[in-house]
Amino acid sequence: MGTISLRSVSKVYGGAREVVALDQVDFDVAEGEFVALLGPSGCGKSTLLNLVAGFETLTDGTLTFDNAPVTRPGPDRGVVFQEASLLPWLSVWENVVFGPKVQKLARSDYEPRAREILRVVGLEAFHEALPVQLSGGMRQRVGIARALVMEPRALLMDEPFGALDAQTRLSMQALLLDVWQTLKTTVLFVTHDIDEAILLADRICVMTARPGRITRTIPITLNRPRSIDDLTSAEFNRFKAMIMAEMRGGHH
Amino acid sequence: MTDATIGSRTRRPEVSILGQIVRSRLGKAILALLLPLGVLVLWQASGTNGAVAGGALPTPDRVWKAWLVWAFGKPGPMTLSPYVGSWADAIYFSAGRVAKGFGLAVLVGVPLGIMIGWSRLAASVVDPTIQWLRPVPITAWLPISIAIFGISDFGAVFLITIGAFYPIVINTTQGARDVDKNWIRAALMMGASQWDVLRRVVLPAALPSIFTGLRIGLGIGWTAVIVSEMVAVKSGLGYVLWDAYYVGRMDIVIADMVSIGLFGFLSDWAIVRLEHWVLKWRRLQNFNQ
Repeated sequence: MGTISLRSVSKVYGGAREVVALDQVDFDVAEGEFVALLGPSGCGKSTLLNLVAGFETLTDGTLTFDNAPVTRPGPDRGVVFQEASLLPWLSVWENVVFGPKVQKLARSDYEPRAREILRVVGLEAFHEALPVQLSGGMRQRVGIARALVMEPRALLMDEPFGALDAQTRLSMQALLLDVWQTLKTTVLFVTHDIDEAILLADRICVMTARPGRITRTIPITLNRPRSIDDLTSAEFNRFKAMIMAEMRGGHH
Repeated sequence: MTDATIGSRTRRPEVSILGQIVRSRLGKAILALLLPLGVLVLWQASGTNGAVAGGALPTPDRVWKAWLVWAFGKPGPMTLSPYVGSWADAIYFSAGRVAKGFGLAVLVGVPLGIMIGWSRLAASVVDPTIQWLRPVPITAWLPISIAIFGISDFGAVFLITIGAFYPIVINTTQGARDVDKNWIRAALMMGASQWDVLRRVVLPAALPSIFTGLRIGLGIGWTAVIVSEMVAVKSGLGYVLWDAYYVGRMDIVIADMVSIGLFGFLSDWAIVRLEHWVLKWRRLQNFNQ
């Protein structure tokens, strides 16, 4: 449940000048694994996530989710967008139950779950608020809640905390650690923040640009459960030094 | 020394009296009335014996009296003038035609605009034709309208629909095209069908543009009703306007013009109120940015 598999996947954007966003990428995420894609902007990490989400089609290769080819987006892969991308005319509650509602699930089935998830992300007092009345961090909490309420087999997160200030980002990372450590769902997490990748992931795949490739995979063996206190541990810094050396090397 | 201290204490910058008037609601209403009242006074003063410019135009008091008779007069068995107690009928016919024609334009224009904005196929098939037909003014449609529908109510409704249709369909198309790509992706990710996306994402996202189209369309609808009633129907404010001119009743002509302006303004106000209510999220957004 929740396994992602890419075999020699390429993505080429046509046009006046062809851009090879992904070049022959082999990549796997196991059930319940938290994998971070780390790399500079333009390295194709978001493209890879969009392919898994079914937002874009691949040029070459095979891409499967739980052994079935990915053809379109669906509630089995919950996506959390960089800017939350909530529907601004719907309240927090309506945004969170949008998925179950269009899937025509029974109210009695999803309403208690939606209430519980909004409580977990700390928004129980904001059911009726419109997205525009919330801070960036609160908006992203709604973005996570609306993905979780569908009970997806995988969570695909595209730089979800990239637009937040440092303090809010820390509290969101802590929230995600808490939630993931109870749910244990598969997570594919795109980021350019080394600290974030080490703190959250079981495994970091470092990507380079032009053409987009995964150059190295680094298992993060920090003990679970983790918390934001790990950010200052000696072991954390050992990983950080290693990845920084790796990324510097990648540029030459 | 105490006096000096008090005097030198920094005060909040005071808003001038004029500034306060401009800000208050009552002050705004008074300022808005200054210009029309000034014109009325000048108009009244420049006339003698109830006429301006050697009898070509009546003065405001005569227009007012003519309107009172037109609106509230009781026609007796010997009354020959059609301008006794028939104002409400004229309003009823014209406003009714605008409502029908505008309603039809909304029913066709909004779904079509959403389709053109959403589907590249629909855009390629329908959009060029709309762009070619759009430069034909509604007045040019008059002969065809009369040829097809004769001197009938539906001829007027048809012209209003044509006139209101273009701004509605074009603004809706624009709104449907500019929908944030990630809103659509988010909806698809949550299991929405194409129909769900159109109804629950594209339509609400396009509403601000749609309302712009509705306001412009309604304005054109009022132009179209007057034009068509002058030529193609025998009732309503447009018919009265032309008929009164023929029999030299310029007081009725002016009362008629004021009535058109008033009802055009009221119907626009109704749409703005509706927009205000429907687009609450949008208002908050603009306020917070």
